Amino acid sequence: MNIKHYSKDDLDNILSVKGNSLYSDAFKRLLKNKASLTSLIILSLITLLSVFGPYFLQYDFYETDWNSIYLPPSIESGHYFGTDGNGRDLFVRILYGGRLSLSIGIIATLVSVIIGVTYGTIAGYFGGKLDTVMMRIVEILYAMPYLIFVIILMVVFGRNIYLLFLAIGAVEWLTMARIVRGQTISIKEKEFIEASKSLGQSSFLIIIKHIIPNLAGTIIVYITLMVPSVIILESFLSFLGLGVQEPLTSWGVLISEGSREMETAWWLLIFPGLFMVLTLASLNFIGDGLRDALDPKEY
Amino acid sequence: MQTILNVNDLSVNFDTSQGLIKAVDNISFSIKKGECLGIAGESGSGKTQTFFSITGILSDNGTATGIADFNDVDLLKLTEKELSKIRGKKIGFIFQDPMTSLTPHMNIGNQLIEVSMIHKKNTKNDALKKAKEVLDIVKLPRIENLLKKYPHELSGGMRQRVMIGISLMCDPLFIIADEPTTALDVTTQKEILKIFNDLKKYKDITIALISHDIGVISEVSDTILIMNEGRIIEKGNCKEVLTSPKHEYTKHLLSCVPEWMK
Amino acid sequence: MIQLIIKRLAIAIPTLIIIIAFVFGLMRVAPGGPFTNERALPPEIEQKINEAYDLDKPLIQQFGIYLSKIAKGDLGPSYKYKDFTVNELILSGFPISLTLGISAIIISLLLGSLLGIIAAIKRNTIFDYAVMGISLIGICVPSFVLAPILSLFFGLYLGFLPISGWNGGNIYNLILPVVSLSLPQIAIISRMMRSSTIETLNSNFIRTARAKGIPKRRIITKHVIRSSILPIIDYLAPATAGLMTGSIIIEQIFGLPGIGRYFVVGALQRDYTLVSGVMILYASLLMFLILLSDILRAILDPRVKIK
Repeated sequence: MNIKHYSKDDLDNILSVKGNSLYSDAFKRLLKNKASLTSLIILSLITLLSVFGPYFLQYDFYETDWNSIYLPPSIESGHYFGTDGNGRDLFVRILYGGRLSLSIGIIATLVSVIIGVTYGTIAGYFGGKLDTVMMRIVEILYAMPYLIFVIILMVVFGRNIYLLFLAIGAVEWLTMARIVRGQTISIKEKEFIEASKSLGQSSFLIIIKHIIPNLAGTIIVYITLMVPSVIILESFLSFLGLGVQEPLTSWGVLISEGSREMETAWWLLIFPGLFMVLTLASLNFIGDGLRDALDPKEY
Repeated sequence: MQTILNVNDLSVNFDTSQGLIKAVDNISFSIKKGECLGIAGESGSGKTQTFFSITGILSDNGTATGIADFNDVDLLKLTEKELSKIRGKKIGFIFQDPMTSLTPHMNIGNQLIEVSMIHKKNTKNDALKKAKEVLDIVKLPRIENLLKKYPHELSGGMRQRVMIGISLMCDPLFIIADEPTTALDVTTQKEILKIFNDLKKYKDITIALISHDIGVISEVSDTILIMNEGRIIEKGNCKEVLTSPKHEYTKHLLSCVPEWMK
Repeated sequence: MIQLIIKRLAIAIPTLIIIIAFVFGLMRVAPGGPFTNERALPPEIEQKINEAYDLDKPLIQQFGIYLSKIAKGDLGPSYKYKDFTVNELILSGFPISLTLGISAIIISLLLGSLLGIIAAIKRNTIFDYAVMGISLIGICVPSFVLAPILSLFFGLYLGFLPISGWNGGNIYNLILPVVSLSLPQIAIISRMMRSSTIETLNSNFIRTARAKGIPKRRIITKHVIRSSILPIIDYLAPATAGLMTGSIIIEQIFGLPGIGRYFVVGALQRDYTLVSGVMILYASLLMFLILLSDILRAILDPRVKIK
């Protein structure tokens, strides 16, 4: 009989087969889902517009024009979505606000994913007393009215945009930690983990090389569902005047201004609101679609 | 003897995401009054769906065609409302999984008495009297105490006895028992089968006993139906079929039964 | 039951103490907070603060005194309104926030569960799609977008309803705030209720109930609902947390002088004592609701009593 000898690296490669086909299949299924596909297109459009749009528009976002205060939306004036009380073009401001809202969404989500995944894999992988203690802490934190908690952080440390990222990320990781822990527990029972252990791989490497890649699907789904909740949280704070400060702007700031001036200029409320709702709805649909696509049991 | 159930050209289809699935394919059979019919076959052979379809408890995506005369009434032509007046009153059911087949938040007493209170318009007192009677038939001890208990406080065997008790509440003509002993351990199995034999002897109840276990069927049944892939492969007197099977599939099925059981 | 309550309190009380310790700690590190040296306060307030927090005593003792005061229900003097204590401020806003919160929670629970049950029974019909569609809007449109739009439409455009003020709790003044506050919760609850009802309808004991020949209506009321409502009972505390944060925004938008309003004003003016007082109140309320939902669950689900 022909016995082949594998090196440790070979074995690693064999043991950590990620099944690329699973992810590409999932992507195909996602594209077949009409709601998700439409959402994906809308979201890409809003993102591209926010990133590149301002370079192509004739107005700047801080440019005040006392001759064109509260102009209603019109194509001739070039103010497609109208202007605000300082004569600033609303469209440009929405796009700038979108940059900020989207990047807060992404960055704060990343912060919470990093915390949540680390915490969850450690608790799940090592189990035992450590797990009990770690999960009890999560349970206690869950019981906190965490938005109020963020507000207090903002009050104590001042309104600083980096702190905002951190504060939001620091409260959103709990769900992620719970889910990751559950998944880790089920993955660590699988044979390929046993095999890596028997090869003498360290726990750290097993977590990095075998567990986290297998969690990728779940993590991606929760990222798409977490980004909208972070965007809402930021807008919520900005709406109360506790988040982003002038001259910076975000969708929350614009909606807040718009709701104060809706009696004179409805467009100041409706358009930023529309951009935000479209983004939130798209992300939710993509998240739902991804969840179905990555869970082929249904088919 | 009088025929109680006469099934003709029954087909059952399920509309699933993979298209139409035929679970029961054009079968005909009949059961005489007081007879115990065993229906044997592997899982997926359509034996359960046959009886679910004629009594109207198929899942939503299933449809049944054909004729199922029960006491000269075609069950397949009845509306859901008319059927619900037959189920529980004239036809009793016993299901496979006693652990999940009782409502978890209702005590045993209420689950029993609601049957006769609805079908026979009994008062609560009469219904309670009847409940104690049926619990005595299924040989459950300490009945007064039991009526106040919740399903999770009982063992699997006790729950299955309660289930049989529920099916007896309105003195039905016919009982459909779907794998009644599969989820139970062997000693409990024996005791449950003894209850079936008693029912046959003293109550003159017609029974359809569905099981994948030929051993279980041979202990209670008079006649037997062998089903495979939605069709009836062989039918006849239970002893004859089991001792001298005519069809290849029946022989194959019997070869799976351990030697000592035969 | 009593065991369950004791067990819950054994978790709730330490949690509350941790929250209070956290708030206490934050107030010490806060720039310009009550415990920093370089403050420029009017002497009356300075005096009050010193008395209130026993600044001359060691740290642990200070925390002990702070805790015992809270246990007695004394949240200390306001840091900005020199003539008021935090208790007085909270008490003045409490009836308003409570009316708002209780109406919203009752409406969300009743309407959300009802819509969810009907959608589940009539699943894949137009009714089902309509409920799910509307609830999707409820989930995707945050309250701070919804509330101004509602008041723009019903208040300003149609002129049906007043768009701000309390007006002594007049029902017309309550409609818009309560609706904007409860819509997102109705959306979430109806979705939860729909999926748990569908799950229950597919369970074995419902098949048994049908096999017993029980009429459809009775199956739903006696066999289905008590099982399918359990996830909603568990959601009670998170829903309350959602309504608390929601009410902060709603009170702001509709100009209602409730606790949420004081919280925002306090936060903007760095009134540390007021903000921490509200935080402690909210946390205690939440603990109480978690306890309440555990008790409700034990009543509805006989299996819980065993544990």
